[in-house]
Amino acid sequence: MKQSVEYNIIQDNMRPGAITRDGMLGHDRRNLRDIIEADDAEVHRLGLTHTSVAARMRDLRDAGREGLGETVTVLERFDVRVDSARGKLPCPFRHEGLFEKEFVEVLNRGNGARTTFTALNIHMIEGHGFYEGLGSPFRLDPARLARALGLFHET
Amino acid sequence: MSSILTAVAVICAINTALAILLLIAEALIVDTGECRITINGEKELTVNGGRSLLATLKDEQIFIPSACGGRGSCGLCKVAVREGAGPLLPTETPWLTPEERKAGIRLSCQVKVRRDLSIKIPDELFSVRQYSTKVEDITDLTHDIKQVTLKLLDPPEINFKAGQFIQIEVPPYALTDEPVYRAYSISSDPAEKDRIELEIRYVPNGICTTYVHKRLKAGDTVTLNGPYGEFGLSDSDSEIICIAGGSGMAPIKSVLLEMARAANPRRCRYFFGARSGRDLFLADLMRSLEKKLPNFSFIPALSSPQPEDRWDGETGMVTEVVGRHVKDASRAEAYLCGSPLMIDACVKLLREKGMPEDKIFYDKFA
Repeated sequence: MKQSVEYNIIQDNMRPGAITRDGMLGHDRRNLRDIIEADDAEVHRLGLTHTSVAARMRDLRDAGREGLGETVTVLERFDVRVDSARGKLPCPFRHEGLFEKEFVEVLNRGNGARTTFTALNIHMIEGHGFYEGLGSPFRLDPARLARALGLFHET
Repeated sequence: MSSILTAVAVICAINTALAILLLIAEALIVDTGECRITINGEKELTVNGGRSLLATLKDEQIFIPSACGGRGSCGLCKVAVREGAGPLLPTETPWLTPEERKAGIRLSCQVKVRRDLSIKIPDELFSVRQYSTKVEDITDLTHDIKQVTLKLLDPPEINFKAGQFIQIEVPPYALTDEPVYRAYSISSDPAEKDRIELEIRYVPNGICTTYVHKRLKAGDTVTLNGPYGEFGLSDSDSEIICIAGGSGMAPIKSVLLEMARAANPRRCRYFFGARSGRDLFLADLMRSLEKKLPNFSFIPALSSPQPEDRWDGETGMVTEVVGRHVKDASRAEAYLCGSPLMIDACVKLLREKGMPEDKIFYDKFA
C-alpha cells in the first residue's frame, strides 16, 4: 500500500540511528502503514483495541513503579519491575515532548508469558497503533503482548 | 512493455547518478580537513574534521562521559563550546537549560567538527584514561546481578575515588554491529589499584548487560575508560545515611570499604532494599564491616520476604524502613544509589525528615 509523504518522514525517524540505535522497524521491509494496518487487524481479531492494550500496560507500569526498581506483584498474578536507563526519547510520529527511557518487565504468572515494554511503546500503541516492526528489539507482537498482559482469553 | 522497462532503467540510472553525486559531495563537503580544537585555552589539538566532537575527542584520548553512544538521547556529554560550534540543533535543545544555552553548553555528540573550535571541559577529564583489562572472575551475586572483577593490564593501575564510575566498551556482537559504551559504578576499594569490581544487573534487551551476563567469561579482555563522576563521601563529621537497591550497592560498597580501611568513626546507617532473600547480596560482607566500623550498621529491608527466607529483619519498602528508623535527618547527609524511582522517593522522604537538599547526594541510574 502506498503511504503519504508524512508517513515516509515518520518511517525515516524509525530507521536505525535516527532516534534509537537499532531503530523501530527491525528487518521489516513493509511500509509503515502496512505494518500498522496488519497489527490493527490482529488486535481487532483478538477482540481488543489499542486503547485497552495501552491502558493495561499503563496500569501495570504505574503499579510496578511502587516497587522503586524492584519487582512487585500486581493483581496477584503479574510480577512487574519498572526501571529506567539514562536519557529520553522523542516520539517518531513527531509529537511534542520526550519520553523517559523507562522499561517495564512483566511476567504473567498465570500463563508464564513475559513481555518488556517502554513508556514510548505505551504511547505509540495508544496514539498510533504502532507495535514496532518485525525483528525490532522492542517489537510487541499483539497476540503475545495480550497474552502477557492477561488480555487474551486462552482456550 | 519495452517502454516501461526503458522508463524503469532510466529512473534507476538517474537514482544511481544522484547517489554517486551525494557520495562525492559528502566526501568533499563533510570531510572538512584539518581543524584545531583549543581546550581550556591551553591545550591545542589538530584533528581531521567531519566527525562529532565526542568521537573526535575520544580519538585523542579525551573521554567525555556518554551513556547512549552518541545518539543524543542521554544528555550526558555536555561541554562548553566557546567558538566554532554552529547553531544549536533541535536534538540538543531538550537537554539544555536556558542558563546552559547562554553559557554555550552543547552536546558533544551532536556538534560536528567542521571548523576550528574552542571548548572548555572539566580538568578532571584529563585524568580519564582508556584501560585494557582482563576478566579475572565473574560471580553471581543474585539471580540477575553479577560481580565482574577486572584485572588492569595497560595501564596496570587506576586511581579513582570511592563512588566514581567507569564506562565499559562492548564490542560488536549479535546485539550491536558497532562498539557501544555503558557506565557502571566501581564497587571495589580505591586502594586496590590493579583491579576493579563492578556489579551489573541484567536488563532485558540491554546491549551491555546481555553481553556481560550471556557472553563474557573469565580470561576475556575488556576495554574501559574512566574514572568519572563526583559522587562520593564528603569531608565532614555528619552522620551518614546510605540508601541503595539492586546494583546500587556498588558505589556504596566502595565508599564503605574505604571507610573501613581508614577506620572512619562517622556514624553511618546503610539501608538496602530488596524484594526477597534471593535479591539480597553481600550481607556477610556488610556484617563484617559492622565489626570493623563500630558506628556503622547495615539495615537490609525485604519488601516481600518468602517463607524459605526465614526473615526476621526489616520488612517493607526501603523508604518505609528508613521512615521508621530516621526521625530527624536535619543534621545528617545522605548517599543514594539505585533506580530513579527509588531516588525520587528517598529524596522526598529525607526532605520531609528535615534534611537540607544540598546534603542529599545521589547517583541516579537514569
